Amino acid sequence: MRTTVSTLRPYAVLVAVLLLVPPVFTRVPFFTMATAVQMGILAIATLGLVLLAGYAGQISIGQAAFYGIGAYASAILTTQAGLSPLLGLAVGALLCGLVGFVVGSFIFRVRGHYLALATLAFGLMMGNIARQLEITGGASGIVDIPRLAVGTWVVDGDLRYYYLVAAVLVVATVLGRNLVRSLFGRSLQALGDSEIAASSSGVDIARHKRAVFVVAAVLASVAGSLYAHWVTFVDYHTLDLLLSIQLLIMATVGGLRTVWGAPVGAFLVITLSQAAQELLPRLPTNVGGEFEIAVYGLALIVVLLFLPRGVAGGLMTLRRHRPSQEPGT
Amino acid sequence: MSDNLQFIVTGLTTGSVYALVGLGIVLVHQVTGIINFAQGDFVMLGALTFALFSEKGLALLPGVLVALAITVTVGALVERLAIAPARSATVERLIILTIGASITIQGITLVVVGTNPHFADPFSPGPPLRIGDVVVLRQYLWVFAVTAVAVLALWLFLTRTLTGKAMRAAATNPDAARIVAISPSRMSLLAFVLAALLGGVGGVVLAPLQAPSAGIGIALGLKGFTAAVLGGLDSPSGAVLGGLAIGVIESVAAGYLPSGYKDAIAFGLLFAVLLLRPQGLLRRTSAVRV
Repeated sequence: MRTTVSTLRPYAVLVAVLLLVPPVFTRVPFFTMATAVQMGILAIATLGLVLLAGYAGQISIGQAAFYGIGAYASAILTTQAGLSPLLGLAVGALLCGLVGFVVGSFIFRVRGHYLALATLAFGLMMGNIARQLEITGGASGIVDIPRLAVGTWVVDGDLRYYYLVAAVLVVATVLGRNLVRSLFGRSLQALGDSEIAASSSGVDIARHKRAVFVVAAVLASVAGSLYAHWVTFVDYHTLDLLLSIQLLIMATVGGLRTVWGAPVGAFLVITLSQAAQELLPRLPTNVGGEFEIAVYGLALIVVLLFLPRGVAGGLMTLRRHRPSQEPGT
Repeated sequence: MSDNLQFIVTGLTTGSVYALVGLGIVLVHQVTGIINFAQGDFVMLGALTFALFSEKGLALLPGVLVALAITVTVGALVERLAIAPARSATVERLIILTIGASITIQGITLVVVGTNPHFADPFSPGPPLRIGDVVVLRQYLWVFAVTAVAVLALWLFLTRTLTGKAMRAAATNPDAARIVAISPSRMSLLAFVLAALLGGVGGVVLAPLQAPSAGIGIALGLKGFTAAVLGGLDSPSGAVLGGLAIGVIESVAAGYLPSGYKDAIAFGLLFAVLLLRPQGLLRRTSAVRV
């Protein structure tokens, strides 16, 4: 039974922390529940990237494409096909999985730097297409997306929406953690460490890469749908390159080799960018609006050079040095 | 027909700048094995600082020299502060590091300079030249001439000087190069400095044509990648031809298609070439990098 308790303990911590967010965020002036919703949504997408780039070692600078496909699918299916938001989210995730499967079938013909450039080109291409097509509303996007509803209960207000996003995040984390602890997950890690070694141990490289690409695509899609039903508006900026980079930063800052890296990274990076927005305008400069990317960049470089396993990874290394502790994943 | 000719001339001008960006990417990739996502920001720095000094009334030559000095200094700082300490990191980490360097440069530029575009005077004043029906801005000629000189100078440096040969040696076989006392660390620094210089030169000649702002580096860098990949990522001459080709394709496409498709075509090309011919369009043998 001890194993059950120690397996469940991290989830209990996650749920406790997520439940602590509303009382804290509504009282501390710096944070709002809208910030918390944003963190939760991006943590879900980041989780996919942790599995893809962290465990399997396959970098993607195009995750915003899948986030965007999810958001647009939700928008189009609910405003034009009359589907319910929940169904829109599910169909969007399915569609994204399919796109991920097709793209994942040939994008892994290339590796390393070439893969980075290929995913980058894929993301940019999708962003450009979303801006041109009629069905996506062209440059003006799609407005009046219905809010998410379970039956007749409409999830409105940032606080309610936060609980929904937090619930999805918990489910995604449980599934993600089980995945990395399965044989499939071990194979992914082997693949991330050395492709040649993994392949000679019988790991079907191409199939595993494609599968984890699909998982990351579906998670990004769910996050994108949640975003679309929250802000009730999407346009081509949803697929912006900066989002792909932001997700990569969150995964790296949080920790690429642990599922806890996703929520930790999303929290830290959004907090940092909020802090920058609060503090920088007080400097005597003619600053516009996007300057907080300097903070992203610096945080990224500092973490990569001094905490190569990310903040969550670093914390777990500390824990592991204590005796009689079962290492977490 | 004259329309086409005009598109080609305009395309070759922007293509020259893409060629310089691509050349910088190839140089760094050859010597260090890294794709430098900050290359576009070197162009932005060169263009923006030159435009700022031009607005302040600094003469052409001092303005160019100061802009290049600033860009090269930033290039050296990127290598020493971000790349050198992480030499043994995995490919993903190095990629993320240069992305970090890129957005740090952009962010600091935004804090210091702001978001507004700035305007540089053309190198030589006067009305555009007319050759037949084709309008050629005087600055176009500067772009062509400076690009040609930069490419030639780089070629001479790499093939005729000891340092240049050492750099190529370090690129071909780092271990053997180390045995003959070529320091990979110094060569990496040199590669970044030269890449920043090439980018800065591209920025300076571009500045009078496109009022530069802090954000232009992203698009320029992406076109530079496309140029470098078309040429096979390891071929300087391929990158130059790739850059010119993209400039022309883009310019012609913009003439006939809705303007939004211009970028989609460039990135579609990048995607297709990466997946179908990762060795580039020019190379016949397919070499596998392990």
